[in-house]
Amino acid sequence: MNKTIIININGIVFHIEEDAYEILKNYMTEVKRHFSNSADSLEITTDIENRIAEMFSELLEKENRQVIVEQDVNQVIEQMGSVADFENAESDEAHAPIYNYNTEGRRLFRDPDDHLVAGVCAGIANYFNINPVWMRLAFALFIPVGGSGLLLYIILWIVIPKAVSRADRMAMKGEKQNLQGFKKNFEEEMSSMRQNLSNFGDEARPFVYKARDFAGDFFHHLGIFFNGAGKVLIKMFGVCLLLAAFGAAIFLVVVYVGTIGFGAEFGDHILPFRMANSELVDKILTTGFLVAFIPVITIILVTIKGIFNVGSIGKSTGTVLLVLWLCSLGMLIFFATKVASGFREQASFTETVNLKPTKNNTYYLKLNDIKYFSHEDSVKLDIKNHFKNMVVTDEDYNGFHNEPRSVTLYIERSDVSTPVLEESFRASGGNYEAALYNARNTTYIFAQLDTVLRFDYTLRKRPNTVWHAEEVVLTLKLPVNAKVIIDQKLDNYVQGVNLYDCHDLNHTDNKATYTIFNMTNNGLQCKVDTIVPVKRDSVRTDTVVKQ
Amino acid sequence: MIVENTQTQMRKGILEYCILSIIAKGETYASDIIAELKKAQLLVVEGTLYPLLTRLKNNGLLTYNWVESTSGPPRKYYILSEEGKTVLAQLDKTWEELLFAVQTAIGDRK
Repeated sequence: MNKTIIININGIVFHIEEDAYEILKNYMTEVKRHFSNSADSLEITTDIENRIAEMFSELLEKENRQVIVEQDVNQVIEQMGSVADFENAESDEAHAPIYNYNTEGRRLFRDPDDHLVAGVCAGIANYFNINPVWMRLAFALFIPVGGSGLLLYIILWIVIPKAVSRADRMAMKGEKQNLQGFKKNFEEEMSSMRQNLSNFGDEARPFVYKARDFAGDFFHHLGIFFNGAGKVLIKMFGVCLLLAAFGAAIFLVVVYVGTIGFGAEFGDHILPFRMANSELVDKILTTGFLVAFIPVITIILVTIKGIFNVGSIGKSTGTVLLVLWLCSLGMLIFFATKVASGFREQASFTETVNLKPTKNNTYYLKLNDIKYFSHEDSVKLDIKNHFKNMVVTDEDYNGFHNEPRSVTLYIERSDVSTPVLEESFRASGGNYEAALYNARNTTYIFAQLDTVLRFDYTLRKRPNTVWHAEEVVLTLKLPVNAKVIIDQKLDNYVQGVNLYDCHDLNHTDNKATYTIFNMTNNGLQCKVDTIVPVKRDSVRTDTVVKQ
Repeated sequence: MIVENTQTQMRKGILEYCILSIIAKGETYASDIIAELKKAQLLVVEGTLYPLLTRLKNNGLLTYNWVESTSGPPRKYYILSEEGKTVLAQLDKTWEELLFAVQTAIGDRK
């Protein structure tokens, strides 16, 4: 039992066995290609087809059969002659210049069997009988040169025809064409047959059609790319994602275990300053850990499943993870709200300290960076014995280790002739009373020693209390014409003027650690000394005398 | 190779003359031409005839009529055009000359 196909040769219908059909079709493809360079190709091939149809009819009629078999086809082909016979007959006809292409030689086609993009490189490599890798490498090397490699590739893509039929492929690889050697999958041939007929007379086809084919080809190959190389890219991306997720998971575990393990002391520093007591910090940390860790684990599981198709994340596991994550998120929000609620209200009060006016109306503003120890700390460090007659300073203090900067200093003109310092304390709390209480619970250390005004570097509050955004705003009001000499260390605290800019105007040498201002009616002005050289001379004389 | 080449050239030269001669006898179908040529051992396969016929037709030496066939598609029956007849007459003359030339040339040898 054999499968038969119904074919139509110029209006005559035949039943033909599959094997026979393949041979016939390949033969006709060959013949068409052979005559494709001739101007009369259509007429010649139609004549041949008609004659073949006639021969089939005669054969069937003579033997009273219904179906054309392989033997019939072979007989007809024998009578009609193979392409090689045609070539022999025409080989040196002067008026048939092109159609005797040499089957021994190679023809340039795009290789559809061995391609990365459109088979241009493989085709050229076939033509020169080299490994396609070198062609690809050459094109790749020229891509960075102004994209010339890419441009050339696209041009060649359009110009070079694709090897559609088996004969094309053989011609491409320089194999001798053998009509009997064609054995191919039927479906594949059906499609290639259609393409082949439309590709018929390729060389003469206008550019528009080529461009259209190119567009079709382009999307076809784009699809292939996303199926092939695209998959590789996605896998690579998946691996990167997986590595990142593993890194994140390890980091989270280390931070969490480390924090819980080292206790509240370390936990305090997870938040930039003590906003909450250590118990609450631990809870926030735990829930925060879960909120961050569960998605990371999920990403790992899903990525492994998606990319490598191993392991699985069951429905129940997923549900448990989701519920756990939502609970953690809820608790985190709850704790965060609890902490935030401590900052709901703000309260402030102002205290005024009267200063003694100085004789020459000069004020030295200095920073008090002496570290004050709590009773416990001083006992622990045994300050009395170890640091006798010494002062422990806190120079490294930059306002961020423990708390945000809590001291700001404004210098203004005083309406009266006496200097005044206004200390405005502020704090937050769950309600106004709590906020006011928090503000009241702080102390600021300020001292006047003759002309020297010492400002403490921080606001002091009771030890082991939680931060409530306590701050003090100091306003120093000095009489007009006061000479204000500000220590450079106060730079972080003084608002409204730039100590460093003024410092450069004041001094020609940068060694001075202070900046001189004058209090005018318009506020603080930098003192620009026009007679600096004279002054410096006198100073120099003084020094000489002293020595 | 040279021998084959010369043989092919010789055959080819007279092939068109023979085809025109066969068609000159009256309306002729391609397979009849083939049969005659095969008998004369000038042509082996049919496929090579069609390009020749087409070319002769395009050169204005031949015309054809479509004739319905009982078996298969309609057939092309070729006839000589007026020009074809003129050309054939010229070729006849040429052939006579060639024949004389060849006979004279090889006459002594045989």
